[in-house]
Amino acid sequence: MKKHLQHLSLMLLLVMLTSACQGGLPIIGGNSVVVPMYYGSEKEEWLVPLVEAFNAQKNKTEAGSTIVIEATPIGSIESGDKIVAEEIKPVVWSPASSAYVPVTNENWRRIHAEDLVVGTPNDLVLSPVVIAMWRPMAEALGWPDKTLGWSDIADMAVSEEGWAAFGYPEWGDFKLGHTHPNFSNSGIISVIAEAYAGAGKQRGLTLEDLAQDRVIEFMTAVESSIIHYGESTGFFANRMFDLGPSYLSAAVMYENLVAAQETKRLSGEASQLPVVAIYPKEGTFWSNHPYIILNAPWVTDEQREAAEMFEAFLLDKPQQLKAIEYGFRPADPTIPLGAPLDEQHGVDPLQPQTVLEVPDGEVVVAIQELWRSQAKKPVDLMVVVDVSGSMEGEKISSARASLVEFIELLDDRDRLEVILFSNQLTTLSELSALGEKRADVMRRVSGIIEGGDTRLYDAVQFAYDELRAKGDPDHIRAIVVLSDGADTASKLSLDQLMVQVGNLSEGGKSTKIFTIAFGRDASVDILKRIAESTGGRQYDGDTKTISDVYAAIATFF
Amino acid sequence: MPPTPRLNKLLLILYGLATLGVLIAALVSPEIRALAYAPLRDIIIPPPKPVVVHVLYSTEKAAWITEAVDRFQATRPRVVGRPIELVLEKSGSREMYLAVLDGTAEPDLISPASQLQIALLQDLSAARTDLFRTPVVNQNDIENCRPVLETPVVLVAWKNRADVLWGNDPNGRMWLRLHEAVTEQNWDSFGHPEWGYIKFGQTNPLKSNSGFQAMVLMTYNYFQKTDNLTNNDVLDPGFQEWYTEFGRNVAKFGDSTGTFMEEIVAYGPSQYDIVAVYEATAIEHIENAIARYGEEQGGLRIYYPPATSMSDHPFCVLNADWVAPEEAEAARLFLNFLTDKEMQELALTYGFRPVDTSIPLDSPGSPFLRYLDSGLELTLKPEVAVPPGNVLDTLLTFWQRAVRP
Repeated sequence: MKKHLQHLSLMLLLVMLTSACQGGLPIIGGNSVVVPMYYGSEKEEWLVPLVEAFNAQKNKTEAGSTIVIEATPIGSIESGDKIVAEEIKPVVWSPASSAYVPVTNENWRRIHAEDLVVGTPNDLVLSPVVIAMWRPMAEALGWPDKTLGWSDIADMAVSEEGWAAFGYPEWGDFKLGHTHPNFSNSGIISVIAEAYAGAGKQRGLTLEDLAQDRVIEFMTAVESSIIHYGESTGFFANRMFDLGPSYLSAAVMYENLVAAQETKRLSGEASQLPVVAIYPKEGTFWSNHPYIILNAPWVTDEQREAAEMFEAFLLDKPQQLKAIEYGFRPADPTIPLGAPLDEQHGVDPLQPQTVLEVPDGEVVVAIQELWRSQAKKPVDLMVVVDVSGSMEGEKISSARASLVEFIELLDDRDRLEVILFSNQLTTLSELSALGEKRADVMRRVSGIIEGGDTRLYDAVQFAYDELRAKGDPDHIRAIVVLSDGADTASKLSLDQLMVQVGNLSEGGKSTKIFTIAFGRDASVDILKRIAESTGGRQYDGDTKTISDVYAAIATFF
Repeated sequence: MPPTPRLNKLLLILYGLATLGVLIAALVSPEIRALAYAPLRDIIIPPPKPVVVHVLYSTEKAAWITEAVDRFQATRPRVVGRPIELVLEKSGSREMYLAVLDGTAEPDLISPASQLQIALLQDLSAARTDLFRTPVVNQNDIENCRPVLETPVVLVAWKNRADVLWGNDPNGRMWLRLHEAVTEQNWDSFGHPEWGYIKFGQTNPLKSNSGFQAMVLMTYNYFQKTDNLTNNDVLDPGFQEWYTEFGRNVAKFGDSTGTFMEEIVAYGPSQYDIVAVYEATAIEHIENAIARYGEEQGGLRIYYPPATSMSDHPFCVLNADWVAPEEAEAARLFLNFLTDKEMQELALTYGFRPVDTSIPLDSPGSPFLRYLDSGLELTLKPEVAVPPGNVLDTLLTFWQRAVRP
């Protein structure tokens, strides 16, 4: 009897196991399918918790693999270029807008003879591109009774009087910010909008339009009020909201960032002046966050299936409703717009009233080129490099190579001076336009050798004084300092240096210092203090990442 | 007298068999089966495999069909003792029949936006004898293939802008006036520079039926007729130049009417001023638009073209190797369910005109009554004649070659 019972239990167990396996229950640990997603960083706050929630659900594909979404934020223009170069291989690409997608598609087609983006992808969330401006400044310009646009920005930019013309001399010059058009969506959008406004058009912008003097003049006028460019719209917004009206009068960004800032201000989290979204009267563009499942050879059928499931999750009502909290307009048209998309948060849900037509790919590329070669505000740049003895070996060789790459990223109209420091301060190349001397400077940089102590503070002070004396106030003025250790030999103290360089009397137009703490022994805190006191930024770098750090700094100019 | 041990054993076996019999009967009978302890029940007798019906349908009827599917499933439908499971997938109308023809989709039941695609699929599949033994659909086989809903192509504009542009009546030259508006005028011409250029949108005629129907209507309007459209008309250089100019000024050719209309409401008046969509698609979003932008800016106005072109949403069971007899039977059951009065009345609430003509459009609760202020009309103008297949082909070829190369 006991034996029979044993048989029976065994059979029952087998039946249960078979039955369970047919039903696809995960008795034996299953595989997973990873879906890499690269997305425009503006929607990070909305997206990241949703990625976590979706992954926690352990959703499965039909074949039984657990879906894992791996989402990485990246500049929208940069990501398109990197996909074409196959430096990144996402399954899902969600840039901030569709504006640059035709260019990416065209570049991809040249290599692969088919489209990378097929059909019309669904939008995840929407937000119009706006000019964020401090409310008192907008009111001084006549807002909200008067509608403002790019032409008003151009007038302000070229005005000798700046805010004094509107009765506010204490606000100084008009200072504008937008991101770098080669890296970020709001940057390319800004220069396209400038080109349209310069041509007096709202649609059908052509290569012939771009050749007109008035277009170039208009773009150059707007760009003259730029304090610096930047890699990401989110960073720009934080910069404006952290440093206040003396740093930036206005910046091109997305409506959702204005609403989010006002939410913080109204809750007491931020103490700045109120900020409002200006919807340019000439028309604007939408940032529509398309969800693109790439038609690329590395995307498997199962990844596609998994990506579609995640898309359905993001477009489902609870997730769409959540988007409003972050100031986005849901792509789901059945959801009404509510707070913070209201007047109290500096936003008008009934705006914009019109849009600008997205130009053809070749026109967008031509605008980028026009901006770079003529309209862009040049930089007067001091590069200060630590060549003390501690830089020996791999450090000095990677510093040399990455600096050569950095110099390649600068434009002919940019002016460059290179200063080396150890016990001595050596000017490798005086401040002058790079176009004439690029090859020579690159050759000389390639021959840098190390030795001696570290006179960091003296070197920074020297560069700062040089720039004050020789720099053009109509250019962006910046210093990039690379150092791998603490100051050991300066005559100047850190406090004395800070008094000098931390002077922000020119607000956003003052000289910015970008510092690179190179290697483990660098004085990170000191370099950070120096950079942030000027509105610049401190970076950590080592022999492997130094090229990326220089490339990130280059987006500011 | 106590039973002998042998009798004891026999009784025990009989008792055991009887118990097992009752248990099995209970498990097999669906009503009693449902009461049984589920894990035990499914181990002993696995549930019958459902008959899965794959349905490809055009997006604009998504809201109605989703509810109809729920109601159908609630009736616990079965064929040959097996439950029916419906798997629905959205598709553009043209994309749908092309996918069937090239073998990338193997649905059991399809529902494009109009009979036009069914006619094309019937002819084109008849020509592909290498792939299909018989045409995969037959328009005359009404048991397997018939219209289920009707809705005409209309123009929809934001009401405040429509008032400025045409008021209540664009008159019989509607398509001609639209051409003039997008190619020669902008909102500045109407005293509203802040609205920019006049943005018209429709779907791509190669991808979606409403765009194709709009193109046919516009072509008829150019020649000021409602029937007898010929190849010579389509090839007329004057017409081609006129239409090409229009096409180049269209703000966007969307892929599918349903998702296009969603986009129109999601973006609001900045993106499109006036669009060609189906009446039902517009009705579905009238309240969404107001909820999003308020009565003043979010109101929609519907304009009826001088002659009507109807989208009639046929549902057709495919006559293909991949459709098993029980799947075809299940698909037919679903089709019959959709043309029952209850589902037809439901269709009316979603803004479709029922094919069951016993249901009046002005029934209580009908959106046709509710949205009369948006310009809805109960009686339609006469329909244009559907041009012959070769003329339609010429029109599409012209579009593909010249309008959006």
